[in-house]
Amino acid sequence: MLRLLFPRLVAALPVLLVVSLVAFGLTLLVPGDMAAEMLGPSATAPDLARLRHELGLDVPPLLRMAHWYGALLRGDLGRSVLLNQSVAHAILERLPVTLSLAGIGVALACLVGIPLALLAAANAGRAADQAAMGAALAGLSLPDFWLGLVLIWTIGVKLEWLPTGGWVSPVDDPLGWLRAMAMPAGVLGLTQLGPIARMTRSAALEVAGSDFVRTARAKGLAEPRVFARHVLGAALVPILTVAGIGFGGALGGALVIEQVFSLPGVGRLVIGAVLRRDWPVIQGGLLLTATVFVAVNLLVDLLYLWADPRLRER
Amino acid sequence: MIRRRGFNAGLLAASLPLPAIAQSAGGTGEGRRGGDVVVAQQQQPPSLDSQTTTAQAARNISLHVYESLFTRDEISNPKPELAEGYDMAADGMTYRMPIRTGVKFHNGKVMTSADVKASMERYAKVGGSGDILKSVAAIEAPDAKTVVFKMAHVFPGFIEGISSPRAPFVIMPEEECGKPAGQTVPPMIGTGPFRFLEYRPDSHVKLARFDDYVANTAYDKRDGFTGRKIAYFDTVTFRFMPEGGARTAGLQTGELQVLESLDVAAAKRLKDDKSISIYPVMPWGFLTLMMNTNWGLTANLDIRRAIQSALDLEEIVAIASDGNYRLDPAWQYAGTNYYPGIDGLDRFARPDLAKAKQLLQAGDYKGEELQLVADTQAKVHLDAGTVAAEQLRAIGMKVNFRTMDWPTVIATRTKPDGWNLWPLVMGIEPYEGPYNVVGFFAGRQTVQIKQDPVIEDANNKLATVLDLDGRRAAVKAFQARLYDQAIAIKVGDVGNIQATRSNVRGYAPYRIPRMWNCWFA
Repeated sequence: MLRLLFPRLVAALPVLLVVSLVAFGLTLLVPGDMAAEMLGPSATAPDLARLRHELGLDVPPLLRMAHWYGALLRGDLGRSVLLNQSVAHAILERLPVTLSLAGIGVALACLVGIPLALLAAANAGRAADQAAMGAALAGLSLPDFWLGLVLIWTIGVKLEWLPTGGWVSPVDDPLGWLRAMAMPAGVLGLTQLGPIARMTRSAALEVAGSDFVRTARAKGLAEPRVFARHVLGAALVPILTVAGIGFGGALGGALVIEQVFSLPGVGRLVIGAVLRRDWPVIQGGLLLTATVFVAVNLLVDLLYLWADPRLRER
Repeated sequence: MIRRRGFNAGLLAASLPLPAIAQSAGGTGEGRRGGDVVVAQQQQPPSLDSQTTTAQAARNISLHVYESLFTRDEISNPKPELAEGYDMAADGMTYRMPIRTGVKFHNGKVMTSADVKASMERYAKVGGSGDILKSVAAIEAPDAKTVVFKMAHVFPGFIEGISSPRAPFVIMPEEECGKPAGQTVPPMIGTGPFRFLEYRPDSHVKLARFDDYVANTAYDKRDGFTGRKIAYFDTVTFRFMPEGGARTAGLQTGELQVLESLDVAAAKRLKDDKSISIYPVMPWGFLTLMMNTNWGLTANLDIRRAIQSALDLEEIVAIASDGNYRLDPAWQYAGTNYYPGIDGLDRFARPDLAKAKQLLQAGDYKGEELQLVADTQAKVHLDAGTVAAEQLRAIGMKVNFRTMDWPTVIATRTKPDGWNLWPLVMGIEPYEGPYNVVGFFAGRQTVQIKQDPVIEDANNKLATVLDLDGRRAAVKAFQARLYDQAIAIKVGDVGNIQATRSNVRGYAPYRIPRMWNCWFA
């Protein structure tokens, strides 16, 4: 396992370095700063200059860069003046929201998408295949903001089954947490369902024609068992890749869903920071996103080992 | 509430009746204590350090927690809050202010002049309108209940300045005043009717009733940001909800009880819903089109006048505000101290395309591109820019309509070149009076980039003439100059719509959703 992990960890370092450089470069290239955001359009030049000085925004870029990398080496992502908290704390505070959303959403997509795709593959070219893939395509094609608003209107306002938005901590109220996450995670699940189902179907069809599957059928195994045990097992690697990408993307911030359902997650944190030019949070958020992708890729690589015995033997 | 005196009010104002309850609210002793009220607002405040930010999103919250020496009444005139009043020396060089006694901070400490002095000194250092305190040479606290401002020079706008809620001159305990900008939260200690409980960025701020709140007995009812304030709700939660549809849904289900702003389409849809009360607020702000008189096409007076003649202002404001508007050419609100009148300026509301084309010719227009910049975050700006661009194309102008996010627009428009026209709603500035309206066009960083001598003179007079009539004349001269030189275009007044569940009693619309003097039925 170490042989597999080590080169990947080493390869991740330049990726994170490049991301950190890009993140810092953005602070120099993108116009605007948080002082202008705090004081509004009619701020006078002296008021702006005074606040910029108070907030330390007038420090020369190279010095800022040195401070930032120095802090990074100590494991400090910096401090947000606007939030009056450390960037690491701001991100960690929102991570449960985003983890809940991404975890439940991707789990729902897998739970529905994989059986649907196997059903489609088992009935390839028939009505069931077209119906299943049509449903998956619909999930992929519907804009998440639209779907979110429709659900809020129907399930939240008209039927009053679920809250229309907001976050409930699972520690304080587990049932409330499930109720609060049901609609946003459902929307995320629907958007993820399409890629997972299509990839599963395509991989399953490829595997279904293999000799070992034919052998399994020849031995008299029932078709559902053939698909569930042999076809799915062999098709897992590409499915894990798609699910991993979906999970990593959602962890980086399912921004639109967080906006629509007023969830205080990482996506909202980062987009709010962009709109307010809260550079420490933007830089920290970009580094986090890159780190999450690297970590999810590593995790997926590890899952490959579990899913494909041939890889363990190499 | 600001009196409505429209010249051509939009359709919406007529279609949304003000609930009768709002007219009578604000008295004392009529409410019922208890309950947790949830207010939804679109944006998260950039900071809750009230002194440092001019954001509406911050004001909504912080003015429940903090109070100032002076603030504004229902029609935006300055009124005492923590001060009992003031005496100005005949030469205008000293302001002596007795402050109210027995007022408690949320940490239990009784407010004294030392706290006021320290707060104002902090404001001079970090405050969003700190420029105003440049006129102050020294602040003295001769005894526990008196504060004296020694002026460096005469500044007749001093009380108006420090009473402005734009970036409020709030009073906090002396020991909090050493904190750098942005670091007063938590604990956010003020003297207001609600005290700070918690802040979850991207989610909410929660306040609780301050049971030791000392109401101002100089008033008998709520009056703007001041008056006799009574907190009835146990807690007030301000939730940040960027999505308008989600806010409306929350109000309908009762998860939210008050909306800072309801979009026009939703207001029309809900106007017959008995469980919801809708409160139009007119005027809320000026919709303007600012011109860069320093660069490119708009450096040419004939071209600016051609633009002024080409625009159909009613069409622009009607579309940009979804019908929630009124036409009023004045650069101050009718009924306020500095209202300069309109003197036939309403003629500019109607386009004169033939004249516009003639002026383009006179300006030697050769098909150069007009750079129109607008932000994508405020629909009103985007729509105003879109309609204005089309109207200018109709007279043969080439328009490059560039959209960008708000901070980029702000950074772009402060540059001396690269832009010609910029739509902006001035919200709090006209509410404050003339100082930040005229001041926007004067000084070192004028919105039109190139200083104008007549406007500079008007601004100087506002800052130095002790006689109110003299200052009014300065505002009138400023307004005349804007129209004559086509420096900026006042498109119209736009409104806002606030909304509550109908079981919220005593509510009256204002610049912020005031949660004092209202209660649950």
